[in-house]
Amino acid sequence: MNTVKTFAPLAWRNLWRNPRRTVITLIVVSVGLWSVLFFNSFLTAWGEASKDATLSLLTGQGQIHAVGYLNDPNIEVLMPPPNAALTKALNAPQIKAWASRLQVPGVVVSEYKTLAVNILGVDPASERRVSAIPDKIVEGRYLNGADDDGVILGVSLVDRLKTGLGRRVILMSQNVDGSLSEQSFDVVGIYDSTKETEDFYVFTGLTTGQKFINVKDKIAQIVFTIPLDQDLEPTVADLAQAAPDLDVRSWKTLSLFLATTDSFMQSFIYIWLAVVFSLMAIGIVNTQLMAVFERTHEFGLLRALGMKPRQVLILVALESTFLIGFGVLLGMVLAALTIWSLYDGLDLSAFAEGLEMFQGGQVLFPQYDIGGFILFSLLIWLMGILVALWPARRAAKLSPVEAMRHAT
Amino acid sequence: MTKSIVTCRGVGKSFGSGELEVHALRDVDLEIMQGDFATLAGPSGSGKTTLLNMIGALDSPTTGEVEIDGMNLSGMNKADLSDLRLNKIGFVFQAYNLIPVLSAEENIEFVLELQGCPADERRRRAVDVLKEVGLDGMGHRRPSALSGGQQQRVAVARALVSHPSIVLADEPTANLDSTTTGELVGLMSRLNQDLGITFVIGTHDPRVMEHSKRHIELLDGRISSDTRA
Repeated sequence: MNTVKTFAPLAWRNLWRNPRRTVITLIVVSVGLWSVLFFNSFLTAWGEASKDATLSLLTGQGQIHAVGYLNDPNIEVLMPPPNAALTKALNAPQIKAWASRLQVPGVVVSEYKTLAVNILGVDPASERRVSAIPDKIVEGRYLNGADDDGVILGVSLVDRLKTGLGRRVILMSQNVDGSLSEQSFDVVGIYDSTKETEDFYVFTGLTTGQKFINVKDKIAQIVFTIPLDQDLEPTVADLAQAAPDLDVRSWKTLSLFLATTDSFMQSFIYIWLAVVFSLMAIGIVNTQLMAVFERTHEFGLLRALGMKPRQVLILVALESTFLIGFGVLLGMVLAALTIWSLYDGLDLSAFAEGLEMFQGGQVLFPQYDIGGFILFSLLIWLMGILVALWPARRAAKLSPVEAMRHAT
Repeated sequence: MTKSIVTCRGVGKSFGSGELEVHALRDVDLEIMQGDFATLAGPSGSGKTTLLNMIGALDSPTTGEVEIDGMNLSGMNKADLSDLRLNKIGFVFQAYNLIPVLSAEENIEFVLELQGCPADERRRRAVDVLKEVGLDGMGHRRPSALSGGQQQRVAVARALVSHPSIVLADEPTANLDSTTTGELVGLMSRLNQDLGITFVIGTHDPRVMEHSKRHIELLDGRISSDTRA
């Protein structure tokens, strides 16, 4: 006898003996799974948007420095421009774009205030390919070339310095010979970004910056990006091989906050899955125990007619399998529809300030994560069946005589 | 020579222990032969249902042993007892006890399905047995769409369809009116006479006893009389 084939129609019909209870359980399972699938997609989108927003400002997906620079970023630990081997590696197809930068600590002085900043010398042509800041100019213009002697300030810094577009500021930094360099720059552009970036990063042309502190063609960092769908670690390894004397790092070690957030997002979905499943398990077990209790007399009858305990267990387990399976399908459809409805992006700009604090992107694009859909749906389904085996075992262990004494 | 279907030797059943111990059956010796149409009678608490449960392999005796169709029930595990009930015993209960989500025909086929009977044969036998109990054309109805008498006929059909060695009925007419009772008893009697099916019926009902070929009287858990018509 094919047990499943025999009991499947009976199990299906049994589910609908108490439609209200079945529908409530279906709602519990489907909404639970929906929340897991949707939050997985939402958190992934948030993680990606945050990562994208942060990395596209200045960090890139990786950077190359002279050894020791990251521990003590000063003029004495700069590096020469990339040699032939490193240039070849940087121009490899897996690298989308790269740019050289000078970055030194300094101060900016206006008529009213003196503030500590990081002075970045950039080549605008290559910088545009690795950073979003050139597109965030809200007043004036971006730098025209590596020899542009204007300066770009952030909105917040402009406010704090009480200066503005077209005014002059003085930049001061340590010179290569240990003396203090000081030079006046025109504010040619103002950019809008995160407050932290606006307050601490001042941009000028790369050559201008090198002349300003007299470091010839030395640079502080090379920043690079790769296509989003590509694995970063092999690229980092290739670059490290091409530049064994330099410090090649991925964003995960450059931006620890972002890396921790990214890792937390991954863990959070499993924590959420555990919470949702615990609540669902209580609902499933309670429902199935009630269903078994109400049908005690009938289980006695089935045993009297010749059903074996194992077959009773299979019958009740099949009911749970159908019930949870149907709920899982419903949850998958609901989650797919929700994600589809947000295809054009979920605009969170109303919460921009809060999101900025968490380095979050303002428009999220939840994506279908087919692997996640299958994994979480299967997990919920299998775990649901597992917990439902408890009431099934109770039904199977009933003595026919005792069960049939139970009132119908 | 007539074959023995049920043999009870020194069967006793007690519930509880110590001062609260109740002896439902005491040292019962009984043999049911093939083709018997026996009624088990006695006042409430005399042990009719307990004895039927022992014979039906639904419960095990505290003392003594039961044999069904030559098979000793002592030492059988739950799965073996289930197989024995499935293949050797048909049950008719007072409360009909049909599966509410299955139609009359499906209720009957369900037992055959448990036996592993092929679908075509199941359907043919279910239709035949429904005709036999006078419910031709009503197979598609769910129990809720049948009268009490019709439901009990379906229960009889379900008990018969697996070709059991014996059909055990516990107060099968208790919930039926006198006309339906007459029809049902007539049906069981005819099946006994025409097909030789063995019936043991626990009852108080004199209309059932009128048809019986053998009358077993129980009192305080003992057989007080065993007479043949």
